[in-house]
Amino acid sequence: MIHLQSLTCKYANKTILEDISLHVSTHLSVLGANGSGKSSFAKALCHLIECEGDIFLDGKNIADLTPLELAKTITYIPAKLQVHDPYISVYEFILLGRFPYKESFFEYSQDDKICVDTNIKLLNIEHLKEHSIHSLSSGEQQLVLIAQALTQESKIIIFDEPTANLDPFNSKVIAHYIKKLQDSHQVILITHDLHLAFYIDTPVLFIHKQKAHYYEEKETFFDSAILEKLYGVAFDTLAVRYE
Amino acid sequence: MSRFFIWFSLVALFVTAPFIGSASLHVSDLIDLDSLSARIFFELRLPRVFFAFFAGVILALSGLLFQTLFRNALMTPYTLGISSGAVLGAGLAIKLGLGTLAFGIGAVSLFGFMGAMLTIVALITLARYIKHEQSNSLLLLGIALSLFYTSCLMILFYLGDAMQNDMLLRFTMGSLSVIGWQNPLLVGLASFVLLIFIFIYRFELQLISISDESARLKGVDTQKLTLILLGVSSFSIGVLVSMSGPIGFVGLIVPHIVSKIYPSSVNKRIVKTALLGGFFLVFCDMLVRLIVTQSELPIGIITALIGGPFFIYLIINKGRV
Repeated sequence: MIHLQSLTCKYANKTILEDISLHVSTHLSVLGANGSGKSSFAKALCHLIECEGDIFLDGKNIADLTPLELAKTITYIPAKLQVHDPYISVYEFILLGRFPYKESFFEYSQDDKICVDTNIKLLNIEHLKEHSIHSLSSGEQQLVLIAQALTQESKIIIFDEPTANLDPFNSKVIAHYIKKLQDSHQVILITHDLHLAFYIDTPVLFIHKQKAHYYEEKETFFDSAILEKLYGVAFDTLAVRYE
Repeated sequence: MSRFFIWFSLVALFVTAPFIGSASLHVSDLIDLDSLSARIFFELRLPRVFFAFFAGVILALSGLLFQTLFRNALMTPYTLGISSGAVLGAGLAIKLGLGTLAFGIGAVSLFGFMGAMLTIVALITLARYIKHEQSNSLLLLGIALSLFYTSCLMILFYLGDAMQNDMLLRFTMGSLSVIGWQNPLLVGLASFVLLIFIFIYRFELQLISISDESARLKGVDTQKLTLILLGVSSFSIGVLVSMSGPIGFVGLIVPHIVSKIYPSSVNKRIVKTALLGGFFLVFCDMLVRLIVTQSELPIGIITALIGGPFFIYLIINKGRV
């Protein structure tokens, strides 16, 4: 459950998002042009950036949550994996998802490792376990990031343009996993990929000129007349790519 | 096997180090505890070897810590100007002609310590005004501070008389010579505290070494952690540099070598980095005592002689950890 009360985000004295109030208890797709503030929206939810206004996740104001409690509530999957550690393996990387549950100072427990193994199996990436994280393709990176997010067991997962760097085949694989995750998590999808948003089939939040427009019914948003007005480009059959 | 050989030789080096120097000692000399040889061994050589070891631990661990926190292979207390701050503080005490203040702690040490601590406060304060891409800007801040301190130090040289300048020059070149156990024990304690803190936060550091964002998403308060660890390491560095003067490059070379021998995440390299740092400085100090017998070569010169070319190698390799 996400509840926003007059959220306003600024960056370098420029207003990115202005006075957004919103209440969603279902999944959500966030759309908007480049630089419209979609990523700021995501980062505000995860408290990665400071904004004015209040954000409630599952009824709790994120300003009152400890970093660890917040990590158990929400997580964020970036479009591209950024890892400075040159040596970490895929397995070790996914294990980091258990950090919020680990007793401080002590090693990761056996249960933590079992959780990692389960998610590795779920995403069919057993063959990558011992690989260096830097040797992966973009598609494999997304799968590993998803595995880590699942291991973190946050109730809300934000995908930030998951298909932006992927070829059509891998986009399809990821799209199917996102759909699957909707059964167990509240999924917030940030994307430019209208085909993906259409396939994922959720209410749409369209961010335009600092304001957010909420479309409860997917059909209203994907009406081609509205799309044309919003993006200034004509769209045809959206479903084809992922079905 | 080769790793075992490296550690074995280092331990062997540590054991033989106290016997090497301008007056060579033999184990049989130590039986009579009142003999001159035994006194040289127990009051000069042995404390010195331990002092070098603990100093190496602090320098290497601080290097590893700074490089991890800021994800930049060039970060060390030295490149950030913390050592220079200590030198300037010490220089001021020498110029002012201050002697022992209280509890047997010299004014030079106290001012040196204050210099290091003030520098870290200045860095943290200035860093607040940096919006993003912290690590490079912070490095530049450190370099700017270093240059500023060097100018101030030059003024002190300019104003100082010959004797003060000689003292100052010796301090700026770094030295590990100690008499008795007070300094080695203090530095040992500081290195132990630093090791404990880094070890406690090893998993947080592993997350930070990936990216700041990723650490925060997993529930690490990265700002708080950075402040705590910077504070502890600056304290240790302050304690050390106030006694030894600046010893450069150890913090740069040692963490890098360890990551080459043990290519693994930072949490698995902490103790190894500490040990190798200690052994490395014991080795450099042994070279110092071997090379010159008439008047001792300052340790800073040896570490910089080895470290300088290595620094160039690092830069050519794009400064990757």
